[in-house]
Amino acid sequence: MTFRHFTALGERIDRLNTAIGRAASWCALAIVLLGFAVVLLRYVLGAGSIWLQESILYAHAALFLLAAAWTLKEGGHVRVDVFYASAAPRTKAWIDLLGALFLLLPFTLAIAWFSLPYVERSWANLERSRETSGLPLVFLLKTLIPAFALLLALQGVAQIIRALALLSPLPAKRGKGREE
Amino acid sequence: MPLPELLAILMVVAVCGLLFAGYPVALTLGGVSLAFAALGHIAGAMDLGLLYALPQRIFGVMTNTVLLAIPLFIFMGVMLERSRIAEDLLETMGRLFGSLPGGLGISVVLVGVLLAAAKGVVGATVVTIALITLPTMLRHGYDKRLAAGTVAATATLAQILPPATVLVLLGDQLNNSFQAAQLAKGIFAPESVSVSDLFAGALVPGLTLVGLYLLFLVAVAILRPAAVPPIPPDPAAPRGLALAAQVAKAMLAPALLICVVLGSILIGLATPTEAAAVGAVGAILLAALRIEGAARWPALLCVAGFLALIALRVTMPQWFLVVLMLAVAGALSFAVHQVWRAGYLTPTVSKTTQMTSMIFAILIGATLFSLVFRGLGGDDMVHRALANLPGGAAGAILAVMLAMFLLGFVMDAFEIIFVVIPIVAPPLLAMPGVDPIWLGIMMAVNLQTSYMHPPLGPTLFFLRGVAPPEITTRHIYVGIIPFVLVQLFALVVLWFVPGLATWLPRMLYGGA
Repeated sequence: MTFRHFTALGERIDRLNTAIGRAASWCALAIVLLGFAVVLLRYVLGAGSIWLQESILYAHAALFLLAAAWTLKEGGHVRVDVFYASAAPRTKAWIDLLGALFLLLPFTLAIAWFSLPYVERSWANLERSRETSGLPLVFLLKTLIPAFALLLALQGVAQIIRALALLSPLPAKRGKGREE
Repeated sequence: MPLPELLAILMVVAVCGLLFAGYPVALTLGGVSLAFAALGHIAGAMDLGLLYALPQRIFGVMTNTVLLAIPLFIFMGVMLERSRIAEDLLETMGRLFGSLPGGLGISVVLVGVLLAAAKGVVGATVVTIALITLPTMLRHGYDKRLAAGTVAATATLAQILPPATVLVLLGDQLNNSFQAAQLAKGIFAPESVSVSDLFAGALVPGLTLVGLYLLFLVAVAILRPAAVPPIPPDPAAPRGLALAAQVAKAMLAPALLICVVLGSILIGLATPTEAAAVGAVGAILLAALRIEGAARWPALLCVAGFLALIALRVTMPQWFLVVLMLAVAGALSFAVHQVWRAGYLTPTVSKTTQMTSMIFAILIGATLFSLVFRGLGGDDMVHRALANLPGGAAGAILAVMLAMFLLGFVMDAFEIIFVVIPIVAPPLLAMPGVDPIWLGIMMAVNLQTSYMHPPLGPTLFFLRGVAPPEITTRHIYVGIIPFVLVQLFALVVLWFVPGLATWLPRMLYGGA
């Protein structure tokens, strides 16, 4: 494997998370429209629909969990940028490299690790909503937790690759590292 | 000091220190907490198995219906911004008041209030308001310091004017703490404090602040008119009736939208989440109405149908209501399609998603932090420390306020709410005579002040980032001082007159 394979891997991760994030972002519209539907049903017909309300929660969870990695790629997670904003590109690359290695990866992998038994239990009996008329898909909802962690971990790998590419003394093989 | 508590303190120090490196806050919080959990495990100070509670906590966040209001309010704000409703608003307001000295500044505050109410996220609000208003103010010869100060202060108001995102999160966290405090006292049918309570509680203090800002601008206009010159009237601009019509057009709809959303929450008709959904749909319709060359009937039909549904829901037969609802749904789909084709929708959902994801990532990081902090016995330590402060409840609250004020320099309001409140609020709320709504509003105003306080207030950095080059850091720092003084004054008043925060919720919802 050469360095170019690494940068290609980074770009592939970027593309994957962008696609997932863009798709998840339409959950925002779903939340708005379904939320409006709930209001109409409740105030006009006096009817409540548990599966409708649960589907809003599902959309919301999918929105913020699946899009977290894309948000990282797009630089959407807030930083305390008192120093970071004015730092040189190399300094920023070092911060991202060390941060991804020692903060992001352990954190996300720990979430994945500690949530596995939790999700496994849910899959074992294909857990459904506690409400009889609710959605029978709680095991999928819970699966979003390790999915969130693993996608974010992947994006961390991409961040590491990009930082290394920028710090690398081999200018020719730098690839198209996108800046956040 | 026992080792676990030492670790708990070191963890706080490490988080604050590492945050300055500039790695994303959510991940710094989570990563550092995990490292200290591991350290604690090795040192025998806590059991790493505690972390198996983490997925359950995250799942609690995922299924929390109160927090659903967050993406909805953000969607509404971003949609209003993307469809340039805010810019129009400022332009018309400027025409209305611009011919008076200080008039433009007053318009900035008023538009900022409307915008802030729709947005509730400080960083975004500063950027929007600064980009729209600073160039205009400078072009017309406004004092640079005053212009910068007005923008920074107005935008920071976004944090406490309902329906601010911060208030939603604050309400949710305070309620958890309030219930915990009562359970600990042996009250097994605990009272609760809702997001609506906080919205109502924030209204009077928030509007008081707006009033004080305006008073300050009027005072400047009288004492130093050269700092806030009037704008020469534009001969091409409409005046008289035409101007009135334009003002009505630009202002009425967004103002009505915000009034409907806030009003329905305040009178207890709708939950914040429901009102936010209506507000987000309203923002889509407003955007659809502004698209040039697009048909107006879908949005108008949707509004008319919605109003008819609300008005006729008791008198008309059910089949009629269902047909009308289908018509509204059809018209709304059409309007959504128009907004999508005009290019407003895709950026709005993207931005909404990223901001929501950012907030909830911090919440997840903070959840791990609280878990580890509690595992290390940090909770008990804080409880003891607060209980042993001189001055009882007042002393404890003062200490917490000071700590939050200082933390405001380092962390976003979100992080402070997620990290600090679960730790300090239960003991504070267990003390006699501490009203949860008052405490929440004090915290909100306090954080808001810290946000714009030199030299580290984050608003000032946001402003620095987007301000034109002729505005120096010095201009910003000096310009913000009068507004910070107003804030501190308001905090003192709020301390001695808790009724400012508690009167309205008590009027509206009764209770203690």
